[in-house]
Amino acid sequence: MKRLFLLICVPALAWAEPATVIRATDLKQQPATDAATVASLAENTAVEALERKGGWTRVKGDAGEGWVRMLALRFGGTAPAKAGASGMTQLFNVARTGTSGTQVTTGVRGLEADQIAAAQPNPAELAKLEKFAVDAGAAEKFAAQGKLAPTSVEYPK
Amino acid sequence: MRALALVAVFTFAANAHAQFRLPSLDVNRLVDTVKNVGKAVKEIDEPEEISIGKDVASRLLGAAPLVPNPGLQRYVNHVGRWLAAQSERPDLPWQFGVLDSPNVNAFAVPGGTIFITRGLLERMRNEAELAGVLGHEIVHVLRKHHLKAIQKGAQSALAGDAMSAALKDRAGPARDKLIAFGTEMYSRGLDKSDELEADRMGIVIAARAGYDAYGLPSVLQTLQAMSAQDSTLALMFKTHPAPGERLDTLSERMQPVLDAHASQAQNAERFVRQVKK
Repeated sequence: MKRLFLLICVPALAWAEPATVIRATDLKQQPATDAATVASLAENTAVEALERKGGWTRVKGDAGEGWVRMLALRFGGTAPAKAGASGMTQLFNVARTGTSGTQVTTGVRGLEADQIAAAQPNPAELAKLEKFAVDAGAAEKFAAQGKLAPTSVEYPK
Repeated sequence: MRALALVAVFTFAANAHAQFRLPSLDVNRLVDTVKNVGKAVKEIDEPEEISIGKDVASRLLGAAPLVPNPGLQRYVNHVGRWLAAQSERPDLPWQFGVLDSPNVNAFAVPGGTIFITRGLLERMRNEAELAGVLGHEIVHVLRKHHLKAIQKGAQSALAGDAMSAALKDRAGPARDKLIAFGTEMYSRGLDKSDELEADRMGIVIAARAGYDAYGLPSVLQTLQAMSAQDSTLALMFKTHPAPGERLDTLSERMQPVLDAHASQAQNAERFVRQVKK
């Protein structure tokens, strides 16, 4: 029954990814240090990550379901490379005539190391970039719309 | 008097390394030279910093143009400008651009220009994650990480009067060399300590701006979950410490700040509306 419940719930979540606990850590019932402990997870315990809330990630595994410290989790990185990515990327990066109609380039553009090193100036795009800039007043209004309250925080020593 | 001292430094550098010819730079030798010259070098002033930044930004835009979506560009500018307002250099001519590239990366250019790629933006889930990355880049500008690296390398590569010429004459050949060198630096990256400092201070800036402080760690976790062989990550992984190492460092140094500001805004809806359409 519990399993069925999970099956129904999982598709609604943002993601479910295999992860490993990098140090011994408590599995908590709620995303808080003072919440009840469901189980103690040993270093290298495999879990499935479901969602994040503040500094906590909801996981499920053999020991059950609960919340662990987000920074105690590492995800796997063993998926194979995307086939043919470099070739296709290059194909798409062959520069076209810019939308402004003033910039005609014939080389291969892109953000690989050698492409950056060989890059030529693009004043037409620079002019666009400058046009999109906003002033401090507009940013403040945007912050208020997003309910962003500025707060005082010191840099760490 | 200060100018005279400068000339002496430049002349020394020029004589010691007269055999240097751009553009085939020997980076290790450059670094050694700089160590020898020591710290008695001219501070590039703010107008010069901004002017160098514009020229470098123009080159990076030559490598990848802006995503042709004015709404998206303005949205990222609003987030970025709000973050910059919480920094120690709020009055720079800050400008933010989304580069049309599938690669996962972001760049900070001296003087207040920040680029993020479409590839990185598409992997984010909310505005707090965007704020975390922009905060990191803003710190590179605040602490003049790239400017210092450009200055270090270029001063020993260019002869003394060439450096002054590069700063004065924006159309001359010395300027061209300086900017080419400055742009090429983005293919090599900064010192690891600069990157880790940008992580720590960037989190603080995002928290000051009212964002969930876990935005940057969350992006690092996303990157860490991607395959190291993914070709869209190649340059970012070459020029930055591994995401796992960055997360370990944050875990050691930033846990209190992160937790104190973990429940602040994420603004996922606004982000999705602007970015995922």
